[in-house]
Amino acid sequence: MIEELGQWTIRNVNDLGRFSRFGAASFAAILRTLWLPRTYPLIFTQMNAIGVQSVPVVMATGAFVGMILAIQAYGQLASMGLEERLGVLINIAVVKELGPVLAAVMLAGRVGGALTAELGTMNVTEQISAVQSMGTNPIRYLVAPRVIACLLLTPFLIIFADLLGILGGWAVSVFQLRINAGAYWNYSAIGVEMWDISTGILKGFFFGGAIALISCYKGFTCREGAQGVGEACTEAFVGCFISILFLNYVFAVVLDAIYKTFWPLRPLL
Amino acid sequence: MSPKTIQPQDGILVVQNLYKTYDQRVVLNHLSLAIEKGKTTVVIGPSGCGKTVFMKHLIVLERPTDGQVYFQGRRIDDLDERELAQIRTHFGFCFQGSALFDSLTVYENIIFPIEQHVRVIDYKQLSELVKHKLAMVGMDGYQNQYPASLSGGQKKRVALARAIALNPEVILYDEPTTGLDPIMSDIINELILKLQKELKVTSMVVTHDMKSAYKIADRIIMLHKGRIIADGGPDHIRTHPNDIVQQFIHGKVGEAELAALRLGGTRFETQFLPEDFK
Repeated sequence: MIEELGQWTIRNVNDLGRFSRFGAASFAAILRTLWLPRTYPLIFTQMNAIGVQSVPVVMATGAFVGMILAIQAYGQLASMGLEERLGVLINIAVVKELGPVLAAVMLAGRVGGALTAELGTMNVTEQISAVQSMGTNPIRYLVAPRVIACLLLTPFLIIFADLLGILGGWAVSVFQLRINAGAYWNYSAIGVEMWDISTGILKGFFFGGAIALISCYKGFTCREGAQGVGEACTEAFVGCFISILFLNYVFAVVLDAIYKTFWPLRPLL
Repeated sequence: MSPKTIQPQDGILVVQNLYKTYDQRVVLNHLSLAIEKGKTTVVIGPSGCGKTVFMKHLIVLERPTDGQVYFQGRRIDDLDERELAQIRTHFGFCFQGSALFDSLTVYENIIFPIEQHVRVIDYKQLSELVKHKLAMVGMDGYQNQYPASLSGGQKKRVALARAIALNPEVILYDEPTTGLDPIMSDIINELILKLQKELKVTSMVVTHDMKSAYKIADRIIMLHKGRIIADGGPDHIRTHPNDIVQQFIHGKVGEAELAALRLGGTRFETQFLPEDFK
């Protein structure tokens, strides 16, 4: 029992160490890649695969989140006669938490799974060794463009999710639940601050980085065979999901502290 | 040849006391070897004897647990990845499964190593070069195909064309004829000989195909349990006194293995029919 616990700890510490080295190597590779304009086409290809093609699913996620929030919250607020405040509730929830987190989870499934499966298969069929054998750093060629694309585009995807979430909530509230549109937007405008929207988008930057790094790492360290690739994909998704939730918690704590300290000083600036 | 007598300058590629373990399992056990420039050296041995691992050490795709690797007299096993990248441009590596990039066409696969190391300005000239390289392996005209649409033998030939893209001094072949029909195997053997003759490269081939080994080798080395047990020209290997070598080159199973198979049980004891479970 103690032996097993010890082995488990050693294995996980080792894994964390390897992941940190992989992260550091990726960071160095990203800086080099950004420095060399001839590698930009690789980034654009990944941006298309990772970002552009994810727009429909992310928009659908956002829209349903907004619509469901409207339906679920209406009863509670209506019983207190506060249904016109539905807008502020939906919009704060969407732009601050649900939009970024659910869009990131959707990306972890769509993009993370694809990245791990692609790189894992390349690893198993020795294509990564082939890149290396031809004198090219596989992290620079394969990982850096994917991480850069994910880092840059996740915030934009979150904007799409937020937008559709807001529109979905508005459509259900106004057309289905018959709430006065003027009051709905008015309360929303008072309740939602620029801070809420911008921090939600800022989170996307980190979520995107975490998704790409974890997925690429799992692909690079994937075990042989179809089972190996399958396991790597599962581990990548679980890893991404947990990291998103953990990062979100960290952000909640840190951003709250920053907000309480600096936001009241805003009128002085 | 005693291991201690081998010096870094003895060949284009030299390994000294190469030792490699995976989870305390010894794969390479203090190998020392010098590979002569311009010759074809074939490494034979049963599956799992460490042949491929040995070859990967030569371009430091694997780092040794102990021992040294030298290329042109310079120690390379302790270099960092950036320096190794430069060294690796002197090598062409043909992987067992071809390892062509399946998201790229044949043309893009071949220009890959060139684009990585040379700033290409004249793409017309590059396309002529690709045509020439593909013609050398008899694959001109396949430029726009994807690897998925090629047969096993065609993939190996494209992989060969990619390996010679940077005009390497050394070409390493990992089981080039495995999984191919006898005629395609012979075509690959002929190609190895042709490249050797025309490009004057040093070749190193890992295989367990004896027909291929006899045909292409200037020197054959047999690995067994991570050690060299035979080393010499094809004729020397044919008449080698060691029983393990003789068993391997004639493809005969040893008495000990046969006895183990017999102990495994008769058909009656080991083979069940579906009705036995009803």
